[in-house]
Amino acid sequence: MRNWQRIFGSCCSALVVACGARQDAAPPGSVITVRDAWARSADSGAMTAVYFTLANTGEISDTLAAVASPDAELTEMHISTQHGGMMHMSPVTSLPVPAVDSVMFRPLGAHVMLTRVRKPLAVGDSVSLHLTFVSGQAVEVRAGVRQP
Amino acid sequence: MRGSRFFPLVSATLLACGEPIRGVVMDDPEPAPALTLTAFDGTRFALENEKGKLVLLYFGYTHCPDVCPTTMGDWARAKRALGERAERVRFVFVSMDPDRDTPELALGYARQFDAAFLGLSGTTEEIEALKKAWSIAAYPEGDPRSRDYTVAHPAHTFVVDRQGRLRVLFPPGVRGEELAADLRKLL
Ligand SMILES: [Cu+2]
Repeated sequence: MRNWQRIFGSCCSALVVACGARQDAAPPGSVITVRDAWARSADSGAMTAVYFTLANTGEISDTLAAVASPDAELTEMHISTQHGGMMHMSPVTSLPVPAVDSVMFRPLGAHVMLTRVRKPLAVGDSVSLHLTFVSGQAVEVRAGVRQP
Repeated sequence: MRGSRFFPLVSATLLACGEPIRGVVMDDPEPAPALTLTAFDGTRFALENEKGKLVLLYFGYTHCPDVCPTTMGDWARAKRALGERAERVRFVFVSMDPDRDTPELALGYARQFDAAFLGLSGTTEEIEALKKAWSIAAYPEGDPRSRDYTVAHPAHTFVVDRQGRLRVLFPPGVRGEELAADLRKLL
């Protein structure tokens, strides 16, 4: 441990950890973590959406390039948009996650859309997602089911 | 003069409540078009019979995975926040996807958010006539041959006031508590 860390003591350790990527421990590429994942409840065979926050604590931008789930017949990245007083939903093939930044998948915005879910999704259940990034990183996500 | 009739009312609302309503407020609200459909339980819903109540309408579809459930969830939170005053509000979901949404599906869909919510669908002809009367659009997007098509539909919650006039359009994303605060101003 460096001297200045010892001097500041434990009260600063959280800060040091948070800033680690900017200090000497800079990772070689992007470092993706997923938090606050949840899925909307759905009947078996229905469509539903999964939401989460992607954080890239690394110093290189990355791009979410593929989504997959064993819990639905079809898994796609989607974005809801509003124009001309209408709501639309469109598939997107990739989504950038800038360096030292985060991207929220949330209602009325981006979501992972599950089409024809293979089982009923009720509160207390969960779904699995497999996210693949251009960097080659893969992240497994478990999203708990919530009431709409 | 257009707009002048309700100007005193609108400004009184502003003064009393501090902030404006979070939606598009019609200056000179006109009578809402007719909306008559038979619910799955056999009851006939006619908008013209709801005078004296505030009626919230959402034109969506039950297979909608993101926007419709988000809006219905906010309606449900607004209804809970209104407490007893919610008895003077009707919450009505109208399907823009009659090919897939039977009246049974539409009612079941609405009720999963709140037991008092009404969900309506109809024949393709009934829904097409309704779209024309209300000057709204809705159409399938994606591969129409797939049963998983999505439907582009109006973004806003339409609010018909207690005199039967189309009064406010709330954009999606107005949260339940905010919606409740604004509905109180209209009750
Ligand atoms: Cu979607």
